[in-house]
Amino acid sequence: MILAYLAIALAAIIGFVLIPSRRVLHILAAAESAAALVVTGVIAMTVPLPAADLGPGTGIFFADHLGVFLAAVSGIVFFFASLYAGGYTERLMETGELNPNNLRLFYSGLALLQVFVTLAFFANNLGVFWILAELTTVFSALLVAILAARENIDAALKYIFIVSAAMLFSFAGIIFLFETARSTLGEGTLAWTTLMKHASSLSPTLLFAAFVLLFIGFAAKSGIFPFHTWLPEAHSKAPSAVSAVLSGVLLNIGIYGIIRVFALVHQTAFAEKVSLLLIVAGLLSVGIAAFAMLYQKNLKKLIAFSSIENMGLLLIGIGVASPLAIFWAVVHMLAHSLTKASLFLSAGILHRQYRSHDPGADDRIVDVFDLQPSAAWGVIIGTLAIAGVPPFPIFFTKFFLLVQVATVSPWLLVATLLLILVAVAGMARFLIREFSARSGPGAPRPTRYVVPLGMRLSFVLLIVIIAVQGLWFPAEEVSVITDIVAELGFGGV
Amino acid sequence: MIEAPFVDGIVRFIFVAIVITAVFLISARSLPFLLQTYRLQSLLLAALAVAIFFAEGSTVLLWIAALTVASKVLVIPYFIGEIQERISIRRDLEFRYLAPASSILVSIALIVGVYLSLGNILSPVHADAEPIFFFGAVIGISLMLMGMLVLFSRKKAITKVLGYLSMENGVLIFGICVTELPFIMDVMIMIDLIILVLLTTILTVGIDSTIEVYEEKIRRYSLWNSLWKAREDAP
Repeated sequence: MILAYLAIALAAIIGFVLIPSRRVLHILAAAESAAALVVTGVIAMTVPLPAADLGPGTGIFFADHLGVFLAAVSGIVFFFASLYAGGYTERLMETGELNPNNLRLFYSGLALLQVFVTLAFFANNLGVFWILAELTTVFSALLVAILAARENIDAALKYIFIVSAAMLFSFAGIIFLFETARSTLGEGTLAWTTLMKHASSLSPTLLFAAFVLLFIGFAAKSGIFPFHTWLPEAHSKAPSAVSAVLSGVLLNIGIYGIIRVFALVHQTAFAEKVSLLLIVAGLLSVGIAAFAMLYQKNLKKLIAFSSIENMGLLLIGIGVASPLAIFWAVVHMLAHSLTKASLFLSAGILHRQYRSHDPGADDRIVDVFDLQPSAAWGVIIGTLAIAGVPPFPIFFTKFFLLVQVATVSPWLLVATLLLILVAVAGMARFLIREFSARSGPGAPRPTRYVVPLGMRLSFVLLIVIIAVQGLWFPAEEVSVITDIVAELGFGGV
Repeated sequence: MIEAPFVDGIVRFIFVAIVITAVFLISARSLPFLLQTYRLQSLLLAALAVAIFFAEGSTVLLWIAALTVASKVLVIPYFIGEIQERISIRRDLEFRYLAPASSILVSIALIVGVYLSLGNILSPVHADAEPIFFFGAVIGISLMLMGMLVLFSRKKAITKVLGYLSMENGVLIFGICVTELPFIMDVMIMIDLIILVLLTTILTVGIDSTIEVYEEKIRRYSLWNSLWKAREDAP
């Protein structure tokens, strides 16, 4: 099964290299990500979950509900990002920002990124997961740098250096984990399922030390304070199709790693200490992001800081560690990924319309409802959704996460709630100020950027999916997420 | 098998030599010298793996040594050297946050700190821990932290790459001394490392030098800016 993803990507890359027509290239890219999504669907339907071995070697790749769920979420984001990329890259090439020779590289990078992301979610061996997570950093940095502008290269290098350096600490954590397993079980192992089975008999001190080291890397991968500094740069400088993937998919990889390792250490006497660590890191991330959002003048940066806020909230939820908190944290991952992707995709249209080429300059949005009404509404609806206005799913996830937070400490609830309100105020302030700006009379108005159908379709469909998810929570989905919580060892919901 | 005390002495000598290379990486200014230092550090790491092989006899260590020599002593430094020639920067004089003298002091503090905290973590579990195991862990983590100092205190991207690579050496020392990972992990890390070095150094060319493409872009930027300016000036 696992080889199917590689085969699809390989076939697509051969296509990217050989096909001369740009039009066909765009279609091939969308078809490739759709095919990968279909494979994930087939795995979800046909493979007996959990812990089905997906090959190729025994125990390296496996499928459980969490892995399949997150692979499916990333598949959806990748599909819409690729659909969007066609029109978007055409425009980038028209304006000379993207060298046409780099288009093949762009699509190949995107295809490989999707493979590595999906395989990472199916990796049972934590060492293999680490390597795949590293590779996703490398390839997403490549996609950030593809525009070859100085500030893009700057952002990509910062991304690589911070995340990879932190990931080296994770690797030290993996060595620790291996040694811990070896000293207890006689034979070293990195298979998550085996470790899960024996977690309570492993040395808690060493497991805790391993967790702290692993946490450093995975936190950097998810943009958690104090390793978040790369995120606003990389997410705002990347082409918008890539920003959507960075925020909607790659941040989940770090959180996924944290959940898996937390599930191990949760079974030991150090569970409370680890929870405290997660809650403190989460609260600091929410706080830093909220206050940064208050003074943000660049739309894509604002959305990027909102990602840091949401990752912080997720950490708080995971740290609470009650079955319901984990349940809603998983739903929040889904809701955040789709909402953030739609936001970045619609913001990308505004960025095309008002692109300010001056490095570091802010977006100057004027007459937005005359020039780009659909994208403007996309951003507004997306912002409402990410802020947690009902009936969007983030309303429910934030609400129930906060209810769970209240069971730990009322003060924590107050602090989290206040910081979330600051973040919402920041977003509202930005939207009201920028979207009501009008060009002065007689001033030359920017020409209208005609949005291709694929670009518009992708963010509108994403918003539709989010809205439906908010109104309708099917029983099958509830049971899948309940299974995730149970398989992680947090008990029944 | 060679006598244990003899191997022990050699291992200790290698540890000291590795710390000295780390100090040079933090404080040296000449880029070619930094590159040679990294090369030497990797060679010492390979020697360490061979020395421990003589003590423990596990052949994986020999493979690790061979892989290290091939990738970190030959291929990666060669590639970085080529890039250095092309961007024709020979010195990295800029230090942020920390000047060389104070960063050496900081790294001494780091080594002591790592020694104490690892002692705390490992002593209840490995009461009978062999000195190689323990000192390897301390040197490995310290080297990682010192590499991180290079990464954050140097300004040139190419020096940062060397800092990152030196961190990775620290992880490998930690791995060799503390436990015995499956060899496939080492191979995959090496592949990851090579891709990473390729990408970062290629990007470095973009950032540490001026290419015609950039000039063309800058011209276009100023055109765009003047357009905005015209708007602002309009009554």
